[in-house]
Amino acid sequence: MTMGELYGWTGKILRVDLTQSKVSTVDTAAYVPRFIGGLGIAAKIAWDELRPGVDAFSPENMLFIMVGPLTGTLASGAGRVVVAGIAPQQRPSVFSRSGIGGHWGAELKYAGFDGIIVQGKAEKPVYLWVHDGEAEIRDAAELWGLGTYGTTASLRATHGPKTRVISCGPAGERLARIACIQTETGNAAGQGGFGAVMGSKNLKAIAVRGTLGVRVADPKRLLALCLHASREGQSPPPPEGTRRWRGWWDREAGPNFRRRKCGFCITPCADGLFMNIPGEAVPGVHTAAWQCWGYSTSFRAHIEARAMTADFGLNGWEIAYGMIPWLQMCRQHGLIDKIDGVEIPVPQKLIENLEDVAPVSGAFLNVLLRKIAFREGELGDALADGSCYAAERLFGGKGAPLLDRIYPRRFGQTNHWNGHWGTGGNPYFPFWLVPVLQWVVDSRDPASDSTHQFTEHVLRYLPEHGPERGPLTFEQARAVCEQVYGTPYACDPTPTYEHPEARALPAIFHHNRGMLVESLVLCDREHTRVFSMLTEDRKADTALMSKLFSACTGCETSERELDLGGERVFNLLRAIDIRNHGRSREVDWQVAQSLTFPAFTDGVVLDLEQFAPMLDTYYRLRGWDPATGYPTRAKLEALELGEVADELEALGKLGKAIS
Amino acid sequence: MAQDASVTPQLSSSVAPFLHLQRSGVIQVDPKLCLACRECEVACSLLHEAQCNPELSRIRVDFDDFVPGLPDIRVCKQCDWPACYYACLAKWGEPAILIDPRTGARYVNESLCRACGACARACPLTPERPVIHEKKVGKKRIRFKCDLCKDRPEGPVCVEVCPGKALTFISAEGRK
Repeated sequence: MTMGELYGWTGKILRVDLTQSKVSTVDTAAYVPRFIGGLGIAAKIAWDELRPGVDAFSPENMLFIMVGPLTGTLASGAGRVVVAGIAPQQRPSVFSRSGIGGHWGAELKYAGFDGIIVQGKAEKPVYLWVHDGEAEIRDAAELWGLGTYGTTASLRATHGPKTRVISCGPAGERLARIACIQTETGNAAGQGGFGAVMGSKNLKAIAVRGTLGVRVADPKRLLALCLHASREGQSPPPPEGTRRWRGWWDREAGPNFRRRKCGFCITPCADGLFMNIPGEAVPGVHTAAWQCWGYSTSFRAHIEARAMTADFGLNGWEIAYGMIPWLQMCRQHGLIDKIDGVEIPVPQKLIENLEDVAPVSGAFLNVLLRKIAFREGELGDALADGSCYAAERLFGGKGAPLLDRIYPRRFGQTNHWNGHWGTGGNPYFPFWLVPVLQWVVDSRDPASDSTHQFTEHVLRYLPEHGPERGPLTFEQARAVCEQVYGTPYACDPTPTYEHPEARALPAIFHHNRGMLVESLVLCDREHTRVFSMLTEDRKADTALMSKLFSACTGCETSERELDLGGERVFNLLRAIDIRNHGRSREVDWQVAQSLTFPAFTDGVVLDLEQFAPMLDTYYRLRGWDPATGYPTRAKLEALELGEVADELEALGKLGKAIS
Repeated sequence: MAQDASVTPQLSSSVAPFLHLQRSGVIQVDPKLCLACRECEVACSLLHEAQCNPELSRIRVDFDDFVPGLPDIRVCKQCDWPACYYACLAKWGEPAILIDPRTGARYVNESLCRACGACARACPLTPERPVIHEKKVGKKRIRFKCDLCKDRPEGPVCVEVCPGKALTFISAEGRK
């Protein structure tokens, strides 16, 4: 493939060496279509260049900020960015990923790049200015110390109002392991602590502006596909919970609310921006990050806290679902009672899961967030690294067993309720076995790209699921599951560990699709749909991603071929995890062990004895050696990853052929 | 207002087009419903320019999340008395801005455009909220604007793609 023929991809990836203060480009064509784009290319370059033993904060760590062939196009969900690298929040730090919505990704694409790879460490604070095929490293002395809001405003004043900015806040500058990369007021690469990786490289921000657009191979076909997909919308309509928010907006914010989404997406999701809401500490705050908070508090305090996390560049999810519940548990067990004189609120009964967490006040949130972002005192200094690291350092380690109840510590990331999770509700046993299987083999909580669609489909479409009632009959659902996953039992609600393939096959299918979402780059709230209310047989067009890819890039690719691409990316990430970080079945099993507390929904506990054979089945279906969890040569070669098999073999980490 | 038929024949033939302009449909916007997703911008550029590029869109959505207020959605209002059309007509005699017989859209015929910019200067929305934009075709910087997707039987593509239903197409007859 030559440069002139590239559609979809811009053809250039920016490489920035901050130690040498040098900017260069590599051709995207060297990696595509084999590695698709986004995470796929990041994984390939990381496999080639990131050697074992690189610390998250060392200059050798590479920060991948990638977009894909569909970014910035009409394909719904095309506003996202993938961030990857050795993630400091993970424990121990491993190669992992995160993502950002909003408008930045498309702007990077319009500026003529398929991604930015940052290496090294600048001598003094710098930012990157990227515009229409050019990139410059610039002095950021005046930006250092600013929040992400101030940084954005300042860069817009310098480079024009249409400039899009990602930046790290004071938390990232202080290498907080829960620092995020923030864009606008409500989108961030939250999990992984990549804001601290920016901080460790003295990279304050990346400002982009582009006017070049994305070339499309078959515009008519892409348009027709997108209009068809947009008809799918989110059907059946979102559950009650989503509509409840609408009333809340009108009541609490009135004219200070406007609708606002990520760029280039039609799915009703985080679609609100609060403007000039008076807070407790500041006169008026803006934030679009109002979703996903685990504690309850007043409206004003909530908006203010979310604006503060965005401005400081903190991972709000970790604080809401990990730290606050954990601090309350610590108080219940007499380890701490006040932070700077402000009491930690606790509920009457002992906290068993996240539902039991007591409401918190604005004053408490203010104190807590400031302490974390600025590493104030021993408490703030410890909490800035996330609950997981803090639990070992504070209170003589006595808080660690408490954290285990809500927190798989292997990742340093609080979970989506133990994997027992879905949008607008939570899946019941045995359906949560699918996200649990995904968790067990991943380098992070896979709810970023792979979990949503399965849990959401189960919740919304099945005729009966916990308290939910969906529009499909079991006959229809079985027929669709047979076609899509290859097993009719995937939608079987019988609470049993029988039919392990009924859990393993959807886990594999959605994980591979998740890798495609991260490589194309799209959003997992939009892809891949399984059920549909618009077709006779209730099966959604599962080939939509490959059709979009073909129309946009001109590389005709079937659904099967593109799925192989997703599997290739997944296996490559697994290989990095194995080679660089010692991942194995043993480690997977540690993750499984950390997921054994009663499920949020039905109180069922993961039964490890019955789960073990299910994991065996999973490995076999993956083409991995069940004894070690290593991929086999046959599998890697089928995925055109022969060079990966050779290297793993040399290390003695290749899976034995499955009999 | 009823047309006074007796006046028309007294005017010279060169003035006739001023009086007989067909009314146009229009894309009505409700910024309160806008999600600021910019799907309309990419859909427009994909249909008209065969690429995804908001800089080549005929509809523009401006917003800044740090500044309170609704998004500013800019699209041609397809005036009953289109200053762009008259400016082009007055300057060149044979205008490059034409009236589409089906929708009434005032549109730029790109092969006729002389790249003078008279239309954009004449537009009452210029310069604060421009709806006539320029692009480079070969060496010329020609003007482009909303044509209500005149060649698309389903109507304007931005209206169809908008997830917030912030855009509505009003036909010439339905227009107040």
